[in-house]
Amino acid sequence: MTSTQPSVGVFTTDTHLVIRVWDATLARLTGISEETAYGQTVTSLLPDLEKRGLLKRFERSLNDGVVEMLAPAFHHYLIPCAPATPAKHFDNMQQRVTIAPLRDESDAIAGLIVTVADVTERLDQERELSTRLAEGDEATRLSAAETLSADPSFDATQLLGALRDDSWRVRREAVKGISQRAAPEAIAALLSSVVANHHDASLLNSALQVLTSSDVDTLSPLVELLNGTDPDLRMQAALALGEQRDSRAVEPLVNALRDDDPNVRYHAIEALGKLNAVDAVDVLTEIAETRDFFLAFPAMDALAKIGDQSIAPRIVPLLEDDLLRTPAINLLGQLGDETAVAPLTALLNTPSAPTDALADALAAISDRYESQYGEGRHIADLTSRELTATGVQNLLDAIESPGKENLRSIALVLGWLRRSSVDRALTRLMGREDLRDEIIEALVEHGRATFDLLVPQLTAEDLEIRRSAVVALGRLRDARATLPLVNTLREESLAIEAAHALGQIGDPQATDGLLNLLGNDDASIRQAAVSALNSLALPQMSKRIIPLLHDSDPNVRESAVKIAGYFGYPDAANELLELCDDPIERVRCAAIEQLPFVEDDRASSCLAHAIKEDTPSVRAAAARALASIDSPDANALLIEALEDDDVWVRYFSARALGRRRAAESVAALEKIVAREEFNHVRIAALDSLGQIGDARVPEIVANLVRDDDPDLAHAAKVAKAAAEGHTRFNE
Amino acid sequence: MTSRSHNLALPEGTTTLIQGLINERTGMCFDNGKRDLLMDKLSPLVIERGFTSYLDYYYLLKYDAAARSEWQNVMNALSVQETYFWREFDQVRALVHTLVPQWHESYGSSTLRIWSAACATGEEPLTIAIALNEAGWFERTSIEIFASDASSKGIDRALEGVYRARAFRNLPSHLQDRYFTRAGSDWRVRSDIHSRIKWRIANLMEEDQIADQASSDFIFCRNVFIYFSENAIRRAVRSFARYIRPPGHLFVGAAESLLRVSTDFTLTEVDDAFVYVKRERERAV
Repeated sequence: MTSTQPSVGVFTTDTHLVIRVWDATLARLTGISEETAYGQTVTSLLPDLEKRGLLKRFERSLNDGVVEMLAPAFHHYLIPCAPATPAKHFDNMQQRVTIAPLRDESDAIAGLIVTVADVTERLDQERELSTRLAEGDEATRLSAAETLSADPSFDATQLLGALRDDSWRVRREAVKGISQRAAPEAIAALLSSVVANHHDASLLNSALQVLTSSDVDTLSPLVELLNGTDPDLRMQAALALGEQRDSRAVEPLVNALRDDDPNVRYHAIEALGKLNAVDAVDVLTEIAETRDFFLAFPAMDALAKIGDQSIAPRIVPLLEDDLLRTPAINLLGQLGDETAVAPLTALLNTPSAPTDALADALAAISDRYESQYGEGRHIADLTSRELTATGVQNLLDAIESPGKENLRSIALVLGWLRRSSVDRALTRLMGREDLRDEIIEALVEHGRATFDLLVPQLTAEDLEIRRSAVVALGRLRDARATLPLVNTLREESLAIEAAHALGQIGDPQATDGLLNLLGNDDASIRQAAVSALNSLALPQMSKRIIPLLHDSDPNVRESAVKIAGYFGYPDAANELLELCDDPIERVRCAAIEQLPFVEDDRASSCLAHAIKEDTPSVRAAAARALASIDSPDANALLIEALEDDDVWVRYFSARALGRRRAAESVAALEKIVAREEFNHVRIAALDSLGQIGDARVPEIVANLVRDDDPDLAHAAKVAKAAAEGHTRFNE
Repeated sequence: MTSRSHNLALPEGTTTLIQGLINERTGMCFDNGKRDLLMDKLSPLVIERGFTSYLDYYYLLKYDAAARSEWQNVMNALSVQETYFWREFDQVRALVHTLVPQWHESYGSSTLRIWSAACATGEEPLTIAIALNEAGWFERTSIEIFASDASSKGIDRALEGVYRARAFRNLPSHLQDRYFTRAGSDWRVRSDIHSRIKWRIANLMEEDQIADQASSDFIFCRNVFIYFSENAIRRAVRSFARYIRPPGHLFVGAAESLLRVSTDFTLTEVDDAFVYVKRERERAV
């Protein structure tokens, strides 16, 4: 890359920034002669220096003796001038600038030496490659990534965007390029780029992960930057350290809590939260206790992430602080135990309580107690005991105020209270999809007392309220609800829920209403009615069902077949066998699927006929039925059906052989695994091979455990593990 | 509430498989809190297919040659069609009164293209068309309005152009009277407004289905990303950025933000309305 080597010009100043040396290279690069420059102050030669924020860099070097670098990616240039040769992407020469103190014999600072490197050509090329990387076809992008990756003098940040390229080849090259850059220079460059170009910080983190995975130490340079002079870089370093998942970052971040810059402290607090820094809990709590508005918020956030419950009592006093009250409530919700319930409820009992946040916190504590100890009820009881009329009214006002979105917690807390006013309010809100589960749960918990409130809701104007009332009445299992629920069966949009509710109640009075649904055009409604009638399990039901097997409506015949098969009515065997020849395919399918439960010798031959001769849907139904029939011919029929023209017949046949543990089918299933066109049939075959557990299975599936199709690969792994388990067991 | 799906077998892990597949193909995200809802909505389709297990239905969607038509049933079952006229009207006002005039000044001789990318039953594109008509833009410049939705059921209803009273809860009554006529208890949109819109079925996850419409000056994609996963939003927005005509304005819903998922657009405020504008390639100083 000799053509892109920068030319470097130099000038020096005294302590007043008066130019004392202006070398020939600089004169050539900038077009400003030595005569013009010499004796001028830097600010008179470059009048916008202060406006561009660069003067302070000169002053810092002069006053503090530090070396300052001006990166071209951020500042572009110090001395405005045209590029030495025309550049496609830049109107001005791009310059890398170093500002360093000059010291006299007594080591005192006597002025500055400034080097100006022309990096335009390289940046132009870099920009061109970057454009190709963003816009070209895959080959162009790949070539650009390879060029950027191969030459370490190119800026690694140009490859950041390529980490999300659609092509894995381009992504691979980007990873390679970034990981080849040695830290800490690469990290400093990446960090500067994020600061300067407002890049997506997640890209930086991707790059840092790449470096970490390449065994490059990212922590030390980040810590160094955290202790550096530039507050922007310190802030970004704190952010990046929070993403590193490295506990060694905790100590430097705790030290950064004393940083002069509050933004750095803010991000250090956030980072400690992300790192789950248990060691920082005390200092973070102290920050919260200072009640400093800017820092107490993130400190409480961080404490919530770390999750040390021991600090909860120290947070309680913050409930008195107007500004910090809400985050304190949230934190107590996440960390508090039963002792937090009393102060939270006391606050809820005040006239202008932040009801939403308090309900969220109480609900969170209850949820935690329920999942950890199965004792959510304990928190509910404590809350219920402490809550005054004002508190209840606050909750009722909050849940009924219009326009609110997230009311789940309020509904939950109200559900803990056994008061008729609360039940009435909950009943009115049953139509809200987001609250339905909590409200139904509460009303069911309150038991039969809510029955009188629910029944009138079956005729409410809002469909969703009617739906919730149906579900709640089913859960109450109160037979007084049977007839009102039977009436709702007529409403198609509620019929499924109503049938299910009637099935739960189990009252024989529902029978006629449910039977009326067996001919419904909607398959889901018919299915719900069948399930409900099966749940009723009434004696004498066969007398109602068997005549329906001859009904003129195929929907009724199909439903009746399912019920007759479910109960295995001996009297229905003839009808079921006859219905295997029904003119309607759906009815035949239903009848075929019931044959395993019919104790009749003709069932096997009927299935044998169906799996060979009927339509694809019936053949598939026959395959499903053969999975559980007690017949010596079943395995042979299913093996033969693995060659069926229809994919679903092959699929269900493969599954059925597994259920039957048909050892003689291993070779046929192996063939399916090797040659079948559709992967779900291969998966079914793999599942069955695993169930059968033949010693050959690990070898059969070996090639598939790394298949591109994750479902197939998973099935292969499961089959292999299952078969190996069988083998070990047998040994 | 799972009374609809309790009769169907749900082998372990199947919900996760279905969630992932639905997200990949439709963008819609049914996280853990909405799993029951997803299974409830799919249950009629599983039963209708004659299956007794969700796993079989998953394989149908993933592998079967007939899956393409079945996916349309899935879209119809899952899509949320609840919307209304004049919804979040600030953005439409900004379009009609500020952005279209600006566009007209710069590109007046070409055809203005507007795309309503998730139009549900058509209320949004009709709102745009009515607002443009009220401002007299159809007489002043050539305008094409495209409207698409992934649900064929939604587009069928949009093609009918008949709306229930609930859809008018935000529309000023004088506009309802001017642009709609009674059709029993419902209202039918005026045919000259309805015919200005080109209706299509298009899935935002399928780039080939949206490329044509996305080559528009203004894209409305509102109140759909709230149902999408972050990756799906990123995919959709990337497609928009690829095809949208410069300067390229994208409107998303008030509750939606692209700031975390895309750097292709920058957020600006126009007449108190938030609008995303395609970011131009930065040129160095």
